[in-house]
Amino acid sequence: MFSWLITQILGNLPTWLWPALAGAAGAVYFLAHLISNFPNLKAYAFFIKPVSFAVIIFSVFMYGGAGVTAILQAQLKEQEGKIAVAQQASKDTNKAVKTKIIHDTKVIHDTRVVIQKEIQHDAAKMDADCKLDPLAIKDLNDAAKNPLGTSK
Amino acid sequence: MKKLIVLSLVLLLTACAGGLAPKATMTWPAVPDEVKTACPDLAQVDTSTTKLSDALDVVSANYTQYYTCKDRVDNWIDWYNNQQKIYNSVK
Repeated sequence: MFSWLITQILGNLPTWLWPALAGAAGAVYFLAHLISNFPNLKAYAFFIKPVSFAVIIFSVFMYGGAGVTAILQAQLKEQEGKIAVAQQASKDTNKAVKTKIIHDTKVIHDTRVVIQKEIQHDAAKMDADCKLDPLAIKDLNDAAKNPLGTSK
Repeated sequence: MKKLIVLSLVLLLTACAGGLAPKATMTWPAVPDEVKTACPDLAQVDTSTTKLSDALDVVSANYTQYYTCKDRVDNWIDWYNNQQKIYNSVK
């Protein structure tokens, strides 16, 4: 929770803040260097110098981190954009496959209906001229049987 | 002063290394139900019949069955190839 809060606070700070802070700390460091020449103020300079130095280091570190975060965020956004396009293409592909199967099934079914009608139309003639031997039916059924067993 | 510059650069790089890159990923799409149906076995002719038309009807039904099943498999292959192409484009 605490780390999340810190991340939120740091994430919402503008990037320009860090170089500005580093510059300000550098200026303070320089001033501390100047006032160290005055004996009365030397004690303050002794305290200010390490603090401003630490602030410079911290600011530079945070500036580096902010830069990296900005690059990563841009990459992430680009990747998310690509994924959104790809997901739409994927949905379109699914839709196209469904539509094609429905269309193909209808064409195959319609052809079957036509052939069935032809068989019914010609049935009387072909049945009058030809009587099927039960062996022919047995052979036909054997050929139609799945050699790998019943499918699931 | 030189040391300070070097130290600053090192710290900048440290910040670079410290950042974990968040990654957006794409999930593999669900297969449409239309292509998931298994192909049934071929129909058998009624053994009590002697009519050629009955046998022909069953053979014709089996041809229909074959083409329906072939279409499903062809579409499955098309679906897979297209989806793989899309998936690989964002990898």
